[in-house]
Amino acid sequence: MIQATDLAKVYGEKTAVDGVTFTVEPGRVTGFLGPNGAGKSTTMRMIMGLDAPTRGTVTVNGAPYIKHRAPLREIGALLEARAVHPGRTAFSHLSALAATHAIPAKRVHEVIEMTGLGAVAKKKVKGFSLGMGQRLGIAAALLGDPQVVVLDEPVNGLDPEGVVWVRNLVKYLASTGRTVFLSSHLMSEMAQTADHLIVIGRGKILADAPIQDVIDSQGKARARVRTDRPEDLSRLLARSGVSIQASEREVLEVSGLDPRTIAQIALDNRVLVYELTPLQASLEEAYMQLTKDEVEYRSDEGATAAHPSGAHAAQPAPAEAQEASR
Amino acid sequence: MSTAVQPHRHVSAQTERVPGPNFFRVLNSERIKILSLLSTRILLLCAIALMVGFAALQAWGAGQLSQSLRSGGPGPRESVNIAQLLPHLPVAGVTFSQLIIGSLAVLMISGEFTTGMSRATFAAVPTRWPVLTAKAVYTIVIGFVLTYVGGYLGGLVAQPILGNYNGLHLDMASWDVQRFMLLNAAYVAAVALMGLALGGLLRNSAGSIVTLVALQFVLPIIFQLIPGDFFKEARKYLPSNAADAMFQAGSSAPLDTTYLEPWQGALVLAGYVVVLLGAAYTALKQRDV
Ligand SMILES: Nc1ncnc2c1ncn2[C@@H]1O[C@H](COP(=O)(O)OP(=O)(O)OP(=O)(O)O)[C@@H](O)[C@H]1O
Ligand SMILES: [Mg+2]
Repeated sequence: MIQATDLAKVYGEKTAVDGVTFTVEPGRVTGFLGPNGAGKSTTMRMIMGLDAPTRGTVTVNGAPYIKHRAPLREIGALLEARAVHPGRTAFSHLSALAATHAIPAKRVHEVIEMTGLGAVAKKKVKGFSLGMGQRLGIAAALLGDPQVVVLDEPVNGLDPEGVVWVRNLVKYLASTGRTVFLSSHLMSEMAQTADHLIVIGRGKILADAPIQDVIDSQGKARARVRTDRPEDLSRLLARSGVSIQASEREVLEVSGLDPRTIAQIALDNRVLVYELTPLQASLEEAYMQLTKDEVEYRSDEGATAAHPSGAHAAQPAPAEAQEASR
Repeated sequence: MSTAVQPHRHVSAQTERVPGPNFFRVLNSERIKILSLLSTRILLLCAIALMVGFAALQAWGAGQLSQSLRSGGPGPRESVNIAQLLPHLPVAGVTFSQLIIGSLAVLMISGEFTTGMSRATFAAVPTRWPVLTAKAVYTIVIGFVLTYVGGYLGGLVAQPILGNYNGLHLDMASWDVQRFMLLNAAYVAAVALMGLALGGLLRNSAGSIVTLVALQFVLPIIFQLIPGDFFKEARKYLPSNAADAMFQAGSSAPLDTTYLEPWQGALVLAGYVVVLLGAAYTALKQRDV
């Protein structure tokens, strides 16, 4: 479990992480999503005790990282930038890390095999492709067989086979009760991998909820309706909060009404409906929606500053999204 | 690819049993790091080759000088006592080998930061100080042993060269030769420690090496060029001049008063090491990796 409380990091003028509070629970994959420069990597470095928080705390399995007697067995991380000397072989890199925790050579070979690095283990890291570098980073993260695994953009540079492998690996790790915290730019990847989502923008948490809730909280219910009497049905469905678009002949896109209500109205009025498909807001759309809010918030900063006491009230949709998810 | 990970164990039970980092494990880890880099081996070989080469060159030079003196040729007959120069011969290359070893020590730590390896290293050892201490131990061992061994090999190569000239003889077991080799070995270890500390402070390979060169080579020259008693006095406190003072320790010859006392020189040199390393430890503890 990872717990951050009012965690903040300021680099000179730049506030990279702005007082975030969240919990990453064991037994599920938690995605960490946010646009470039949102503060994902910075948060992860603070979890790993590499960057000291300007404010707030973050604990891993109940204690700050530095307090753990055997940190690599508690938490393993693949951080964004390569953390390897290019002049060493994968094997000696992992051996050097293993030596600090008296991890046997057997385990080093195990993670090498697990990550598919067997063929290149005795080659210098200098010649590694991006994907091989990522695999080595994941091997290092798993070295201590830790309970918490933090992966910063693990699928970055991986081929499709590697992407599927990472997806299965993190799901497997979560299924064994481990805590998995993974950041990614690929919303579609998150949709297929994560159970829970923490969305961050400009150093602030925008959403912290099960992945389905994030999607639901953003898009209204939408449905595609095919009918031979689109004009009549449009008239019948029209009411406040409902918008209807006729996309093609005999096709309506209705948002603001769930499919069951639409079907009931059609039945009551004896209008034939020959297709009724719920349209789900994709995570992509939900994400764009959240980020849009975040952008609006940014342009609101002046107004917020003018009323310091209203800072909380001024925080728009993100707060609602969080509330809705609880 | 399988996912061979054991199921989750209980937290408290785990922290009880499993080994975490301690100093000896970190020492072991750093040993693996040093030995697994080709650049380390190349630099070490260069340093040895340099020492042997300089010893041979100096032996030849000393032979030539003695010949010209003997044949009554031109030369500052009185001021040159070749017998007194001979004990310096095995460690003649230290002037330059100290830079190679110093650079090696710089790279030992700056390489961590420039490659990003530091993130893996300090995630594994979050208390951080054992890493710098382990590196310091190997810096001392490499600086000392390499200088002594290089000096010994240099002496062995110099002996047959000197043998070509009448009356020149280098006894490797003699007090003066051993004294110089040991003092120079300690000196190189100190310079290397300064390099290690600079590398840890600046986290930049080129910048740290340049700073070390400036301290060892440029400052003494500048101090000599600037007129005035202040710089003449201050010069004594530069690391290289303090080392020259230290090299007189145990010598039967009268002390050169342009230097500090030998024990003072040793203290000044140690002072540089302690201050720089102390700053490096503090920076390592406080700065983000
Ligand atoms: N060491 C540092 N010094 C100064 N600024 C930094 C430092 N590290 C990060 N920042 C700044 O903090 C902000 C957050 O950076 P961070 O790398 O955490 O974002 P991110 O969410 O990981 O972005 P990306 O998706 O591009 O990886 C950025 O504006 C970045 O420029
Ligand atoms: Mg990042």
